[in-house]
Amino acid sequence: MIIQILINGILLGGVYGLIGLGFSIVWGVTSLINLAHGSLVILGAYISFWIFQYAHIDPFVSIPLVMLSLFIIGYLMQRYIFNLAIKADVFLTLIMTFGMDVLLAQLMIVMWSADWRSIATSYQGKSLIFGGYLFPYTRLLGFVAALILTILTAYFLDRTKTGQSIKAVALDMMAARLMGVNPGKTYAITFGIGASLAGAAGSLLAVMQSFNPAVGGGITLRAFVVAILGGLGSVEGAFLGGIILGIIETFSAFYLGESFKNVVTFTLFVIILVTRPRGLLGKKYYG
Amino acid sequence: MKKHLIPLGFLVLLIILPPFLTGYWLRILTGVIMFATMTEAINIIAGYAGYPAFGNVVFFGIGAYVTAILMNHGFGFYLTLIPSIVTAVLFSVIIGLPVLRLRGHYFAIASLGVNVATMEVVNNLKIAGAAEGLTLPLKKGASPHAVYTYFYFLFLIALVLSVLFTIWLERNRFGFGLRAIRVDEDGALAMGINTPYYKTLAWAYSAMFTALVGSIYAYWISYIDPETVFDPIISVKMFVMMLLGGASTVYGPIIGAVILELITELVWSKFVSIHGIVLGIIIILTVILIPKGFLDLFTGGFSWKRLVQNIKENMI
Repeated sequence: MIIQILINGILLGGVYGLIGLGFSIVWGVTSLINLAHGSLVILGAYISFWIFQYAHIDPFVSIPLVMLSLFIIGYLMQRYIFNLAIKADVFLTLIMTFGMDVLLAQLMIVMWSADWRSIATSYQGKSLIFGGYLFPYTRLLGFVAALILTILTAYFLDRTKTGQSIKAVALDMMAARLMGVNPGKTYAITFGIGASLAGAAGSLLAVMQSFNPAVGGGITLRAFVVAILGGLGSVEGAFLGGIILGIIETFSAFYLGESFKNVVTFTLFVIILVTRPRGLLGKKYYG
Repeated sequence: MKKHLIPLGFLVLLIILPPFLTGYWLRILTGVIMFATMTEAINIIAGYAGYPAFGNVVFFGIGAYVTAILMNHGFGFYLTLIPSIVTAVLFSVIIGLPVLRLRGHYFAIASLGVNVATMEVVNNLKIAGAAEGLTLPLKKGASPHAVYTYFYFLFLIALVLSVLFTIWLERNRFGFGLRAIRVDEDGALAMGINTPYYKTLAWAYSAMFTALVGSIYAYWISYIDPETVFDPIISVKMFVMMLLGGASTVYGPIIGAVILELITELVWSKFVSIHGIVLGIIIILTVILIPKGFLDLFTGGFSWKRLVQNIKENMI
């Protein structure tokens, strides 16, 4: 039984890792704590839901499309809104992103109502049985997709010119500027990437559980836990943090009851912040 | 003393006003006063000490719940006030000792974490009615208007107390210490200020006033549930009010509360379905255009250049 719970936790953790990854990169590079992250995840879920409903395209197939739409939204949001106050005090930028969260949540209620939605795929509820253990298809595919996206993100940051310029801006903005990098655009691209990863995570979440605009807040806090566990801006750290959180949540839901899951997650969150604010893996990745 | 004359005039006006107001406007004004008090409270820790307590609404929730639970066990309303404040203050000290060691981002987020963790605990607490919430005994009065007036004056007393406290803080060693912490915490420590003690005390005072408001709120609305009284959006509204009016000033929070609460109330009544959209836009615009508050914008004459300058200072 314990191994089955562990499997469920790890599979869920992959998606949590993806939720935290975009959040962590944005925080690490732009120092912006994006409280609207959860709403971007849910926005991704709704777009995926839309595509499924009207074009009957499987949520796993439509991920690139969802990511592209979220990238554009995220890019514009950072470029023309958040960049205008990016150097302000911490709590000012926090309030600003919270304002965006309130706005997005209400916008989604207007567009899709506050009803619970879910995407019912044909393979929902079916599982791969391997060695006597169950691997639900939706979770298994979600885990694989999250792993692939994490690897792609790491590759993008390490090997491409844009990725290099993102890292350069995070390390030393002045030097990056002197080398011909435009920090405003780079921030916007970084946020766009963060938003597109959020959108992808939303697609994966949409096939696993039902959602409505109100669940965004809880997702943002999970992104926090993951980012803090893994260390800011660290790609592999986020994935690991996600898996740790997934395991902890699945175990606490099983042993303490579903309603105590959040108590454990948020208490853990405060404890980690107080005791290990630099993350389990140690130092900040950038800068 | 001179600068307190105009506010004193307003206070007299507020005292004689209720009989001339309709129930609707009395309720709105009560809401404004309620938020003004909570904003004064958050101003102590976030304004003067510069610690962005993003989860300050947790004390509001605690105050509301202590009052609700005790009143459901037969206590009179006034008897619940002391336990409510004591609980919130103890909570702020116990949580504050570890959490106030964090700075900037980390403190803000940790206090938000404390807020949601507490909400989830209350969600599972049998004595607090769990997720269904609690109903409180209704306040009996000669007429609805008399009941409205009663709560109006309760909140007004809380506001006056918080303002008097802030005036005391402004000219007190403790207040200077907090401002020193905001400007340079290490420097303040080097100057011999016991910073952990000051910070904890500041948060405790903040918790005290916020819990008091929470208690009155619970009795006023007579039904509470975790989702409403621990809602982070209340914290954010307090922050925005503090910003609009000007942080670390005595009357700024009141000005901010009047502006934001009136705007949201008017929007709320006209466009219920897009209330959140308008509120979100107001919050974002406030941060971008008037990060230093309305008072700063209008001192020395308003000019559009000032707005552009505000943006230029913080943009990349």
